[in-house]
Amino acid sequence: MLAFTEIRRAKLRFALLGGAVGLLVFLIMFQQALLGSLVKSFTGALENQSATVLVYSEEARKNISGSVILPPQQEAVAAVDGVGASAPLAQGTFTIEAAGDDVDASVFGVTPGGPGEPTRLVAGRLPAAPNEAVASKEDESDGFGLGQTVTSVDGGVALTVVGLTEQSRFSVAPTLWVTYETYEALRRAANPDAIAVLPSALAVVPAEGVTAADLAEAIDEQVEGVEALTRSQAVNEAPGVASVNQSFQLILALAFVVVAVVIGFFFLILTVQKLPSLALLRAVGAPTGYLVRALLIQVAVVVAIGLVLGGLLTVGAVKGASSGLPVAIDPKALALSAIGVVVLSLVGSAFTLLRVARIDPSTVTNRQTTGGMA
Amino acid sequence: MKLGLLELRRKPGRFSIAGASLVLLTVLLLFLGGLLDGLYLGSTGLLRSQPGDLVVYSSDARDSLIRSRIDPEVRTLVDGVDGVARTGGLGVALVGGEVEGKDDLVNLSVSAFELPVDGMPAEVALGPDEAYADRSLEAYGVRVGETVGVGPERTPITVIGWVDDTDYLQQGGFFVVPDTWRAVLAAARPDANLPPGTFQALVVELAEGADPGAVAAAIDAATDGATSTLTRSEAVQALPGIKEQDSTFSAIIYVTLFVAGLVMALFFALLTLERIGLYSVMKAIGASTRQIFGGVVAQAVVVALVSFAIGAVAMWLLTFVLPASIPVAVLPARGVQIAIGLVVMSALGAAISLRRVVRADPASAIG
Repeated sequence: MLAFTEIRRAKLRFALLGGAVGLLVFLIMFQQALLGSLVKSFTGALENQSATVLVYSEEARKNISGSVILPPQQEAVAAVDGVGASAPLAQGTFTIEAAGDDVDASVFGVTPGGPGEPTRLVAGRLPAAPNEAVASKEDESDGFGLGQTVTSVDGGVALTVVGLTEQSRFSVAPTLWVTYETYEALRRAANPDAIAVLPSALAVVPAEGVTAADLAEAIDEQVEGVEALTRSQAVNEAPGVASVNQSFQLILALAFVVVAVVIGFFFLILTVQKLPSLALLRAVGAPTGYLVRALLIQVAVVVAIGLVLGGLLTVGAVKGASSGLPVAIDPKALALSAIGVVVLSLVGSAFTLLRVARIDPSTVTNRQTTGGMA
Repeated sequence: MKLGLLELRRKPGRFSIAGASLVLLTVLLLFLGGLLDGLYLGSTGLLRSQPGDLVVYSSDARDSLIRSRIDPEVRTLVDGVDGVARTGGLGVALVGGEVEGKDDLVNLSVSAFELPVDGMPAEVALGPDEAYADRSLEAYGVRVGETVGVGPERTPITVIGWVDDTDYLQQGGFFVVPDTWRAVLAAARPDANLPPGTFQALVVELAEGADPGAVAAAIDAATDGATSTLTRSEAVQALPGIKEQDSTFSAIIYVTLFVAGLVMALFFALLTLERIGLYSVMKAIGASTRQIFGGVVAQAVVVALVSFAIGAVAMWLLTFVLPASIPVAVLPARGVQIAIGLVVMSALGAAISLRRVVRADPASAIG
């Protein structure tokens, strides 16, 4: 077949193009994996807890770490029509000693049986008594395994891991879920000068028949100084997450455009170089469809090489990059990227395809090299 | 080389394909670099602008300013260490600020200082309701002479002057006297309240000739391990995410530069193939391989430089439409680094064609 014969005869050319596309595919796939993992590690704890509405102080600007809910606000929120249940939710960062090492850990204080408890429990049980904690499965091998004891360095409060969650980390750090009372004890041990330990947010579930969005709106209207967010708003609008998303989307869009341009332009050069030969082929009876198919096959081969190379590089890089931030491949996102690359490659090649389709076989009669009269 | 440049001048369109790809890659590279620099500058300004050589944290804080606590007794021990000229308390509270006429709160990093940071007069005398603000806050409506309602109690604080490049964790620098900071901190986070005289960290100025490493070790020894003393640059690197950010973005930048090299290699491989007959004729009439190859590399370098210039202008225009939430900072040094990378990779990419140029046979010119 014409397409494969040409590839065999110009291995370097196609290898370079396949390599360039492969690296671009790698850039796209790795950044996509990085973005997904970064967002999950930043806000997994908010996404995978049971409250569908989270109420922050207005002051916090959607940042749970900077939020403090005052007692009158707690009472006012609980009294809003449409609230099914509400409970305090506290979050703080502590230095925790696990397996002999000090690490920064994010600790969530929740009310047992109330809204705000983690929902992705994969082993053990939820904390029910003081000094019990649920840890992240992702940190299991770092001293946060089931039955292990970790200790808060400030004040020496010991916590026993009784359960493990998945995809429930916060701020890219090991995350612990404890009872609200345990959280208070941790905070007071860390700072004996604390005036009060107040919840960072209120975890709320709507009453039957009330949507989370409607309830959030009602709370905002009726309670002074708070900002109620649905769970997805709390995740997507958390400080940093929105800008990280925007930045990566822009980078990915640029990389996709470069893929289309590189493939499109280079097939155009190749086609322009061999236009006389293609015209000759048309003149001796090769149908347009045959030449277009040959071009499409070459585009498909280059894209396939690029996808395989890019995919392999991504798998390798993800394995090598798992220190600090556990980067994981989301097959769905990668499949979407691959489809995007294929579609954009076809778009990039569209002009070349048109050029091939419009080849006029009669031009060979004008060329001296093909026996015509110039 | 002259012939190569002449061709570029006469037929610039021939190089537009490689050029367009490089322009896009330049925009991508400058955006990545700008994002990396913007994130770094916006997170680390508070520490970089400190006058001291060392930063002292409590050892159990794992070099986190917000979790650290230095009590007066510890400070006395630090003050007594040989090589310490003077110390200054440092503290920060991340809160919102209400700016007159604006609906949204502005993000502030309200910082207590005792030693003036870069850009402040040597003798700073601030009242309890006065502040120096970072100039980045100007974009959010903050003006000198105007009052900002700071923290949950909207404590009125008047801005009396600007400082530059002092933001912390992407929040605008806002420098106040220690007592004002303590009040703001207690109102915003009652559980993080600190008593008078206590700071989150100390900034240490060294006596002339003192060795920073030796003094840092002496401080930690004098406090019996209650402190963790870092040089200022170590403290900057210890900020959450700084190292990871740097390594991740740098890796992406290097891969993108490699792609640029491959694009140029591919382009010049095709171009060389197209004109291999011409090269044979040139060799037949006396041109050396070196001359021909020099022309190819010169073309690659010029294409890379022109593409970089167009890409840089495109990136500059892009900064006007980017939302303020994307912290892009286009720095000349980063631009130079990317330009050099692009030129080197382009030249290397073009050099892939050397083999074909060398093998061009002058004898084939006559059939």
